[in-house]
Amino acid sequence: MSGVNLSGIVKAYGALQVVHGIDLNVAEKEFVVLVGPSGCGKSTTLRMIAGLEEITDGDLMIDGRRMNRVAPKDRDVAMVFQNYALYPHLNVAENMAFGLRIRKMPKDQIKTTIDDVAEILGLTPYLDRRPADLSGGQRQRVAMGRAIVRHPKVFLFDEPLSNLDAKLRTQMRAEIKRLHNRLGVTSVYVTHDQVEAMTLADRIVVMNDGRIEQIGTPMELFNNPANTFVAGFLGSPPMNQMKGVLTETGAKIGNTELRLHGAINGHQGRDVIVGVRPEHVTLAESEGTTALPINLDLVEPLGSEALLHAHHGEDNLVFKADTNGDINHLYGVGTVHVPAHLIKLFDAETGRALNLGA
Amino acid sequence: MMNWNLYSRGDKIFAIVVSILIGMFTIATLYPFIYIAAVSFSSGFAAQAGKVVLTPINFTLEAYGYILKDPQFWISYRNTFIYTIGGTLMSLAFIIPGAYALSRPQLKGRRFFNLFVAFTMWFNAGLIPFFLNMRDLGLLDSMFGIILAFAVNAFNIILLRNFFEAIPQSFEEAARMDGANDFQVLWKVFVPLSKPAIATITLFCIVSRWNGFFWAMVLLQSEEKIPLQVFLRHTISNLSDDDEFAIVQTAAGFSAETVTAAIIVCSIIPVLIVYPFIQKYFEKGILLGGVKE
Repeated sequence: MSGVNLSGIVKAYGALQVVHGIDLNVAEKEFVVLVGPSGCGKSTTLRMIAGLEEITDGDLMIDGRRMNRVAPKDRDVAMVFQNYALYPHLNVAENMAFGLRIRKMPKDQIKTTIDDVAEILGLTPYLDRRPADLSGGQRQRVAMGRAIVRHPKVFLFDEPLSNLDAKLRTQMRAEIKRLHNRLGVTSVYVTHDQVEAMTLADRIVVMNDGRIEQIGTPMELFNNPANTFVAGFLGSPPMNQMKGVLTETGAKIGNTELRLHGAINGHQGRDVIVGVRPEHVTLAESEGTTALPINLDLVEPLGSEALLHAHHGEDNLVFKADTNGDINHLYGVGTVHVPAHLIKLFDAETGRALNLGA
Repeated sequence: MMNWNLYSRGDKIFAIVVSILIGMFTIATLYPFIYIAAVSFSSGFAAQAGKVVLTPINFTLEAYGYILKDPQFWISYRNTFIYTIGGTLMSLAFIIPGAYALSRPQLKGRRFFNLFVAFTMWFNAGLIPFFLNMRDLGLLDSMFGIILAFAVNAFNIILLRNFFEAIPQSFEEAARMDGANDFQVLWKVFVPLSKPAIATITLFCIVSRWNGFFWAMVLLQSEEKIPLQVFLRHTISNLSDDDEFAIVQTAAGFSAETVTAAIIVCSIIPVLIVYPFIQKYFEKGILLGGVKE
């Protein structure tokens, strides 16, 4: 099986340790996205898998073989770079053929492979062009083509869409997903864009400060973030976090008490962070919701929905509301209704998710 | 077209001064060449009398006839080609890999080696130690010695190293992922991407080899090994105090001056032929320091 296994992977530059012992198993054919803010160590981790950075400590296994001391070319992995790194002096076909020529593949076989991949990626009309004569999206495709032609065991993507404009990014994202479904090659993808992470990943690995915060499917991470960092990182806009104290029946935030789902189990008086997803609140009261009075600051219409920027006490909050074609009715909003079963609680000190019912 | 009305008084004065300076510089550069060419086509008498200013006086090809008949001229011409081509290839063979190595962050002791190379630009052994060194290596009066002795030039290495350093790291990484080893990264990626820099260095090497005079004179004794520049020097010194030649020349219509000028013209021609072809690279190469990714 062509999985990738990282156990206790550490990266240090001299005394400065930037990745602190990462454990991760990427199953065969799985699409795993490493996501996190700049400097969280995600690209470094990817580059260690590629062999472009030395591994300070820990074990890297690809396809069951230890790769710590194996040269990049012998790891059978292909990488798509952020700036594409297409050779400017070679045309599209030569760019894709570069690795095959070095590996001494017979010429006719190279041609067949290139033609096949060009067909898949819609690059056939551009094979004679130099990278400088291609659009951003086409360059991106060539970079992927160069990776695909080698039929590697693992694809590595280092923020491949970050140089594209928003529209093209959405398109290419879908193309990458389709391609993965078609080729089924184990993939590790690095991005700082949580939308890319959510849409592409079989599993997401959220990283922060050289550590893994949480690993799980996009919906697992969205619904049950392990801590306030993950809660604040995934989702657009991210989860609202308010300081509160647990009471007999709920959580008190300022003067408002939000009713909670399930038992408090003797945790009364504990300081918590109360998490509410922007899209979980409603404007109308219904069963199982608590009213949360807010001071509305701003309404941002997005079309079918609008973002309500508000504050409650010292906490700045953002909620989503349907516009139904008109935003005028949103300017008068003074209360939102929070469903008890969708409220998340985190320990105020550690930031870890609390599951009081369990 | 330049619209003078858009320029302030100061700008106009500046433009005029600059134009005058460029004009003077052009004349200063071009005139010696025109003068030498004119002398080479003039009669010996006119040249000796100092009558030649801009155009040939009493046009004649006698001076050319004289040197083209001299077998030593052809031998030294051939030698100059050997030293130029061999020396340039030898230089590139050292400079390109050297610059690549010095440009790589993974080179252990990179700072030291870079300093080491740069050091030779400011300080070197000097004439006598260098001569003794060549003598002890058995490279005196050796054609190979001339080719080898000046193969490595610190300035050219640093020029190319800077160019290599400006090439984004990801090209090297992509090539490595594609399976390339160091040599393939250099040869298939860095060298093609550095054509302007390499062309510039090639031109520097060609010109310095072609004009190489001093060390060839010091290190070579055999007539059959000397390059054109040394032959020129021999001719000048032979002709100027050769009474017999003075008699012959008056009869034949050439003089030491016209023969010297003819040799110079002959030695310039190949450079004039080559330069237009590499000029576009040369201009780019001059700007190397200012180019960022």
